[in-house]
Amino acid sequence: MIKTTEKSVFKLPKSLKAGMKFPFCAGCDHGVAIRLVAEVLDEMNLREKTIAVASIGCSVMLYDYLDTDCVEAPHGRALAAATGVKRTNKDKFVLTYQGDGDFASIGLAESLHAALRGEKVSAICINNTTYGMTGGQAGPTTIMGQITKTSPNGRNEEYYGYPIKIAEQVALCDGTAYSARCSLDSIANIKKTKEAIRKTFEVQLQGLGFGFVEILSTCPTNWHLTPQESHERVRNELFQVYPLGVYKEV
Amino acid sequence: MTKTLTTGNHAIAQAAINAGCDGYFGYPITPQSEIGEFMSKKMQELERAYVCAESEIAAINMVLGACSTGAKAMTSSSSCAVALMQESLSYIAADELPVVLVSVMRAGPGLGYIYPSQGDYNQATIGGGNGDYKIIVLAPSTVQECIDLTYKSFYLAQKYRNPTILLADGLLAQMMEPVEFNEYPYPEISIEDWALTGAKNRDSRAIYSLGPQEDRLVERVETLFNKYKQIEENEVEFEEYQTDNADLIVTCFGSIARNVKSAINQCREKGLKVGMLRPITLYPFPTKKYQELAKTTKKFLTIEMNMGQMVRDVRLAVNGQVPVEFFGKSVGQWLSVEDIAAEIERLNS
Ligand SMILES: Cc1ncc(C[n+]2csc(CCOP(=O)(O)OP(=O)(O)O)c2C)c(N)n1
Repeated sequence: MIKTTEKSVFKLPKSLKAGMKFPFCAGCDHGVAIRLVAEVLDEMNLREKTIAVASIGCSVMLYDYLDTDCVEAPHGRALAAATGVKRTNKDKFVLTYQGDGDFASIGLAESLHAALRGEKVSAICINNTTYGMTGGQAGPTTIMGQITKTSPNGRNEEYYGYPIKIAEQVALCDGTAYSARCSLDSIANIKKTKEAIRKTFEVQLQGLGFGFVEILSTCPTNWHLTPQESHERVRNELFQVYPLGVYKEV
Repeated sequence: MTKTLTTGNHAIAQAAINAGCDGYFGYPITPQSEIGEFMSKKMQELERAYVCAESEIAAINMVLGACSTGAKAMTSSSSCAVALMQESLSYIAADELPVVLVSVMRAGPGLGYIYPSQGDYNQATIGGGNGDYKIIVLAPSTVQECIDLTYKSFYLAQKYRNPTILLADGLLAQMMEPVEFNEYPYPEISIEDWALTGAKNRDSRAIYSLGPQEDRLVERVETLFNKYKQIEENEVEFEEYQTDNADLIVTCFGSIARNVKSAINQCREKGLKVGMLRPITLYPFPTKKYQELAKTTKKFLTIEMNMGQMVRDVRLAVNGQVPVEFFGKSVGQWLSVEDIAAEIERLNS
């Protein structure tokens, strides 16, 4: 006689809403990143004291996935809103989840000043080298030569100038306690990303300063690549421009 | 109670502290920088939140974040810098957050100058943000009212969970008057059923304005407008001065009312039947009061330190029942008591 035992091998983190479905395109890394955030919130037992700040971009409906309190900030202003939340609620855990356009283009002032002030908040920035939500136009992180809807001949210095290295810039700020760049292109890198997210959360809890992680992510729809090809692009093209690593750790 | 001699700016700042303001976020601009300076000292002494924001855009969004947690938070600014906040004011109205913004007008357009002016009546009452929304607007005309209406701004913002603007000008902000700092006279409003305090022993909450589902958006805007109706019914405030049997009613708001009153006194001595109606709430506007007075008076004269902004609301309220004239200059110094009295006499002759 065969005995069967049931063992749960996969379940949703408690910090994700039961029954929620990510609406992201096939092969988009946003869902993986948000799941990692939720797993770390669970593991560090932070869900009940978290106030998350949603930004404007593909991840705008963060409150539909994360089962924490959440406020939406106007485009680019997530870290200003997070500053207001944290300064009036020092006992809360405050987190922003932003695209690279939100963080480093329209919101660059808010982002860097939050880092310079050493705000005790954690910021996660998804770098997919384009404005995903508006249909794939050239953004601050679009790499040289990249073709987008507004760089039909590829990014060149004459018309567009140069891409921003976000994790390096954040690391230059004296108020930053942790700044790293990670990727979601392989199991190993996903694990490293999770550890980096944990670290950004820890520096907040320890009151050490601003915690930041930039996550290189895919946008198959706007890159016009398959999910597999998209991760190959991350490895073959983005790693050279945006090297992975920890840029600051106090 | 003892009287203290103080400026409008300091009166507003101290009143905000008395009202229990938990966080001040701001960026300097004349003629209201003393509010931020005062707050930098006092808020730190009290261990409350204070941030020198990197811009007014950052400041208003810090206030947005703070207020989403139920904190009492404010910013203060002026004209071109309040213009920078318009997108966020629309979000804040949509999110129903109890934000207090002190707007101390300078003369515009553009950079203009720091002269007293009332050129931002439209900016405050109509606003430059997107979509259907309304902001409560209170206009003091004395330094004492700067205190009383700062208290009221915090109260109304909390009561209706609606952004509220205290609309002052450079004259009020900079001049000193003897005032009484009475205590914050309003009840505290519970934030328990909506504020973001962490999802402990309750479902998680979200505050956002995005509405991809058409019915949700329509429903939400209707909810907002039902609230605005309540505000219009319950919160109208105005000052009436010698309006009984007045053939001419001068109407104005804010600091220029001081000159208007003096001019009315002069004209009354000469036997002219003239009075004044001063809206204190610019939104909600005292429409009914104008309609009532239009039945007995022969004419309205709107006087503003601008080229004619509130006069449109007066005309809409009066709705053609009697003529509504306008007299104004874009900068306040050019509207003396004598100028105003002369205009009143001209219209009476
Ligand atoms: C003030 C303002 N400007 C422009 C937009 C339109 N808009 C919405 S999302 C977005 C770009 C988002 O790009 P990113 O932050 O990189 O996030 P992604 O969508 O790629 O995840 C833009 C330009 C807006 N909503 N508000």
